[in-house]
Amino acid sequence: MTTANRGGKRILVVDDEQDVCVYLARLFQEHGYSVACARNGNEASQSVEKEKPDLITLDLSMPDKSGVRFYREIKSNPALSRIPVVFVTGITGPGGNPKDTERFYSTRRQVPPPDGFIAKPIDQEEILGLVARLVGVP
Amino acid sequence: MEERDAVPKSWMAGPTERKVDALELTCRRLFDEVPCYISIQDPQLRVIEANLKVVEDFGDPISAQCYTLYKGRTERCPECPVARTFQDGLEHTSEERIFDRRGLPHDVIVNTRPLHNPAGKIVGVMELFSDITVQKELEYRLHDSLNRFHNLFDVVPCYVSVQDRDFRILEANRQFKQSFGGRLGTYCYEIYKKRSNRCSVCPVAQTFEDGKTHSSEEVLIDNDGKQAHVVVHTAPVRDSQGNITAVMEVSDDITEVRALQDKLASLGGLVGGIAHSIKNILEGLRGGIYIVNLGFRDNNQQDIRTGWEMVQRNVGRLSPMILDMLYCAKDRSPRRLPVSLPDVTREVLELYSPRCRQLSIKIEAHVAQDVGTILGEQKDIHALLSNLIGNALDACLSDQNEEKAYCVRIKVFQEAPQAVIQVEDNGAGMDEETCSKLFTKLYSTKGTFGTGLGLLVCHKVATEHGGTISVKSAPGAGSAFTVRLPLAPQEERGPS
Repeated sequence: MTTANRGGKRILVVDDEQDVCVYLARLFQEHGYSVACARNGNEASQSVEKEKPDLITLDLSMPDKSGVRFYREIKSNPALSRIPVVFVTGITGPGGNPKDTERFYSTRRQVPPPDGFIAKPIDQEEILGLVARLVGVP
Repeated sequence: MEERDAVPKSWMAGPTERKVDALELTCRRLFDEVPCYISIQDPQLRVIEANLKVVEDFGDPISAQCYTLYKGRTERCPECPVARTFQDGLEHTSEERIFDRRGLPHDVIVNTRPLHNPAGKIVGVMELFSDITVQKELEYRLHDSLNRFHNLFDVVPCYVSVQDRDFRILEANRQFKQSFGGRLGTYCYEIYKKRSNRCSVCPVAQTFEDGKTHSSEEVLIDNDGKQAHVVVHTAPVRDSQGNITAVMEVSDDITEVRALQDKLASLGGLVGGIAHSIKNILEGLRGGIYIVNLGFRDNNQQDIRTGWEMVQRNVGRLSPMILDMLYCAKDRSPRRLPVSLPDVTREVLELYSPRCRQLSIKIEAHVAQDVGTILGEQKDIHALLSNLIGNALDACLSDQNEEKAYCVRIKVFQEAPQAVIQVEDNGAGMDEETCSKLFTKLYSTKGTFGTGLGLLVCHKVATEHGGTISVKSAPGAGSAFTVRLPLAPQEERGPS
């Protein structure tokens, strides 16, 4: 049962951890989004073309194609580069401070900074708030 | 006395008596004032004449046996320069220690010279002693301090060498010689680093240039090919004019400190890897609880089941990780129970077959029928094999070659007195450097996915069971891990 209607906004959840996919999918569905999941960068590339999502949550360390590679690809594709991407990752900086990692990814020249950054373990309110802001729903 | 008189009589032959008296007096005075001991001995080694210095320091010498007078002996000395001069008519020199009337020792250099009568016969031998006690004392002290210096140089628990401007080893201490051999004159870079030319940055060269001490950290290779991490300090060695003639190099072995640092760094990596894995498990647990709660709220059995399965799965993931951690943390000897390798292989294969099917990776086992039992812990061997197969699957998954048909092959056979377990894959493979690190430290090729615990467990199980583990691998070609475990002696094999 959904608690709100988010105007049919679609989210693509990319994570190699099956349970994280299921969890985030259920969390977003519960809050009125429609959700598709991908388990690695390759699946995500196919899915993003097909689903045309309004937002992507992206894990960075994945087998096959990494999240960073997938991110670089869509940001260099004019048809897809406007889709907001939120990094959702367990990789944190020295001492485990997620802010350090966020700063690191925000200052790489090769890739533009992500639209949002969420460190695992995920804070539900934080991710929901960020996603709502990025897809422009109240 | 007869003999004693014979010498002055011969001297008196010729000149007038008065002149002779005056000359004798002058000679006598000179003889007495010479600042050394002079005596004349007859062929029986009796003193027939001596100067005043002898009389003063040794008492009345006349008619005394020289060995009694000078050395307090009752018999002649075995090596007697006076006797030799009597024998061969030549001058002789020797170094002796004599004792004065107060018993004080005098180190002396003895010179003997024959005295002839007009007929050319040796009638006496003049013995002249130059007192070198002070020089001897200095010599002893010098010798002593050189000895002390050499002892200190040798016992210093570092590699110490002294080098010339061409970097040749002039001197080296005991520890240096033990590890690098005692070949002095060899070039420093040859001996320390097995190089054929000098190092580009050399603290010895810097010290020769500026006369200051320099330090650097180096890796040396000893004669057994073993590496030693050292901190090198150099200092100039100067001559009395202050010119630098050599440079001393002291190398302190810090290999163990480095090993400890590496271990701590790997431990940091291990903790990071474990934390990352736990984060993912925690996320799965939170997700499961979230979905169970939704199920309760909506009375939705499907959600409750899905959520509960997530909880179970993640608790299941946590258990082996914690067991691995505990296994690595403990120092213990496994029990020695008969373990059938075919049975363990079958169990592990059953465990992995569904996952292999799901991943489209072929898994096959070739178990020789005649393989004997080993003694140990069944669950340890199970953990070892599980880890190796798990790694092989990961190696296939991390290889991105769409044309490859991935396969994991397990072989169990015996090469008495050992049982052999081989796990081969045709996955990503590893380079030589990676292989060299696998068992020596907590090392993972899986980035944040691996903890490095798995192979550490494998290594621990193999060694605790008296066996070995090794790897052959090449990038792109796959890896083969070989575990060798001692077979149980016939009488301990238990029921088959």
